Amino acid sequence: MAVTAPQPGGIADHIHPEPQGFIRKYVFSIDHKIIGIQYIVTSFVFMILGGLLAELIRIQLMNANGGFMTPDTYNEVYTIHGSTMVWLVIVPMVTGGFGNFVFPLQIGARDVAFPWLNMVSFWMFPPAGLLLYASFLVGAPVAGWTEYPPVSLQGGPGTSMWCVAIFLVGVGTTLTGINFLVTALKMRAPGMTFTRMPLFVWAQFATAPLVMIATTALAAALAALFMERQFGVPFYDPTKGGSPLLWQHMFWFYSHPAVYIMILPVFGIISEIFPTFARKPIFGYKMIAFSSISIALLGFMVWAHHMFTSGLAPFLQLPFMIMTMVIAIPTGIKVFSWLATLWGGKIQYTTAMLFAIAFIATFTLGGISGVFLAAIPFDLWAHGTYFIVAHIHYVLVGGSLTGIFAGMFYWYPKMTGRFMNETLGRWTFWLFVIGLNGTFVPMHWLGLMGMPRRVAEYDPQFQTINQVESLFSFVMTLAILLFFVNALWSIRHGKRAGHNPWHARTLEWQIPSPPPYYNFKHIPTVLANPYAFDEPVPYAGLEDELTDSPAPIPAGAY
Amino acid sequence: MRAAVAADQFYQETRDLRVTGFLLFMVSDLVLFSSFIFAYLYLRNTGQGWPPPGAPHLNLALAALNSVALFGSGATIHFALENWKHEKFMKFAGWMLATIMLGIMFLSGQGIEYYSLYTVDHASWAGSGVFGASFFTLTGMHGLHVFAGIIYLTVLLLQAAQGKYTFKYYTGLTLGTLYWHFVDVIWVVLFSIFYLI
Repeated sequence: MAVTAPQPGGIADHIHPEPQGFIRKYVFSIDHKIIGIQYIVTSFVFMILGGLLAELIRIQLMNANGGFMTPDTYNEVYTIHGSTMVWLVIVPMVTGGFGNFVFPLQIGARDVAFPWLNMVSFWMFPPAGLLLYASFLVGAPVAGWTEYPPVSLQGGPGTSMWCVAIFLVGVGTTLTGINFLVTALKMRAPGMTFTRMPLFVWAQFATAPLVMIATTALAAALAALFMERQFGVPFYDPTKGGSPLLWQHMFWFYSHPAVYIMILPVFGIISEIFPTFARKPIFGYKMIAFSSISIALLGFMVWAHHMFTSGLAPFLQLPFMIMTMVIAIPTGIKVFSWLATLWGGKIQYTTAMLFAIAFIATFTLGGISGVFLAAIPFDLWAHGTYFIVAHIHYVLVGGSLTGIFAGMFYWYPKMTGRFMNETLGRWTFWLFVIGLNGTFVPMHWLGLMGMPRRVAEYDPQFQTINQVESLFSFVMTLAILLFFVNALWSIRHGKRAGHNPWHARTLEWQIPSPPPYYNFKHIPTVLANPYAFDEPVPYAGLEDELTDSPAPIPAGAY
Repeated sequence: MRAAVAADQFYQETRDLRVTGFLLFMVSDLVLFSSFIFAYLYLRNTGQGWPPPGAPHLNLALAALNSVALFGSGATIHFALENWKHEKFMKFAGWMLATIMLGIMFLSGQGIEYYSLYTVDHASWAGSGVFGASFFTLTGMHGLHVFAGIIYLTVLLLQAAQGKYTFKYYTGLTLGTLYWHFVDVIWVVLFSIFYLI
């Protein structure tokens, strides 16, 4: 008794009582693990919707003369597809989802700094998504996910609903960013200095300020667009003295950091998976950690590279081009560190590891076409063509989504206590990688041949390539469906995993799966960084976690 | 004794979290203002000369008086918190009330300015052009912050009167003070960019 009773003291010993009842436990939960799973599930639901829209696009493009839907509907479909995948799938998945579930466990905390605020953040997300989809009923926005004025100033109330929906998601993510930053700064277990933090924690720590600052800038841009549309307050309308370029500046000041919001946490996932399955310390721990920070900083200084064709002054174009190329350096440092981690390792090809390896290849392809596009002369050529579409999909599907699948296979045993089926996992992997490359590689060619993006009908010479892409996109869809089948089936029928099936060394694997509501019976002390595979795990005070000694006693209000 | 020590430690750590979180919230809020300030400066510098045709004449004297009221309230709330730390409740309440009154004065001044712009000079309302858009959006957003602040401080004062805070545990009062100073600082910037340059 005396051993397990919390020493009355600091916040680490302040345990909330166990939640009672279905609603408190699973709906309006303040437990970061449940909220993380809520985020993941909701994002996957929106991914099904967004993926459905993607397939509608691919069906339309199988015929050069279109015909499957009207060009107006086509505009609505790709706009909502892009908005869904960015704001309702990848951003919430990697920050709210994996961030919430894994990161407080990895720093040895009982929860995030403001659990109640965390619940509020989550509950802004599903209504916002529903609002976005409801816009189809009144005429969805048609100007693409970037919603450039003056097109976005015209059209039905759908665009205003889009503004409100994205604003709401944005407020939720901003609050999550604040929450995570305070948690990372103030709630690490004793002994966990900055250079002992797992790399996923570093990634979240670098992402949180990005989320906090960039999303607020987007909120301002959205508020201005909304006011202009609804109340005629002129910001963007050139006939009233406004400037459409102002929107582009404000939008990209958010949306460029946003691509790092979508990829930095995934870098963190990959940095956890590689050392675990190569059975080898991560190569260049400090370089990976600091490159996350430098990517986050540089991410704020490159936004105008999206605007080379918008009439930016030449003396502004050049620094943006240089900064954009500079940002490839920290990214390259990461890629080389991961490769060096694999070098000479004893590699276990689990599905998670396969996805992580595929991530390096596909993400690097997306990164390389990004460096192409940073060069102004090339960008003038390729801007507004399918080359851009190929680039963004290699980064977001080949990068973020592949990393998300890797993370799902890796942490699923921690979330549910069971493995996902490995055979089905391999099928998912191969179909996904084949489908992914078959769909998006030819888009580079189409772009270089001059096929413009966002068109419902196109020159018949591109038809064969488009049909091939569509076929491969069905393969990719099949892979994702297999993943969902696997995830649902394994909840009940998966092989039991035990507390640490991968023999990983970060803190979340040292406690039972799924972790109890209080996470740790005693907050452990951290003695070293977690990646030294030839030594025992560097934690003290974890002796009771896996025994059936009683749970710690919830502290009353002092 | 042990419980008291524990309560102290718990209080200190919670206070630490809440103050850090609140500072970060203010950073986000600052970005919101900065974005609109950027929009204003961008439109100002890329348009056809400034002020645009039909832009109204702002009342510098009234705004200056208003600024004095708001800056004064920054001082009064500081005195309020200092008195709380020195365990003088009546003085604390007095200075808080003074702060709230100054806030109301500021809002009234702004109301007069809005009213005169609206009635005397219809062309200058928010929908009329980029000047109106940026002026009313930024000052309006700031005005809403002041309004929220007045309610916030009133609630804090009532809670303090009911004994929610002790002279030892008073994080809520610290946060209220921080918020009010933040609103103050934003006004320095807005006053400069709209009335002085």
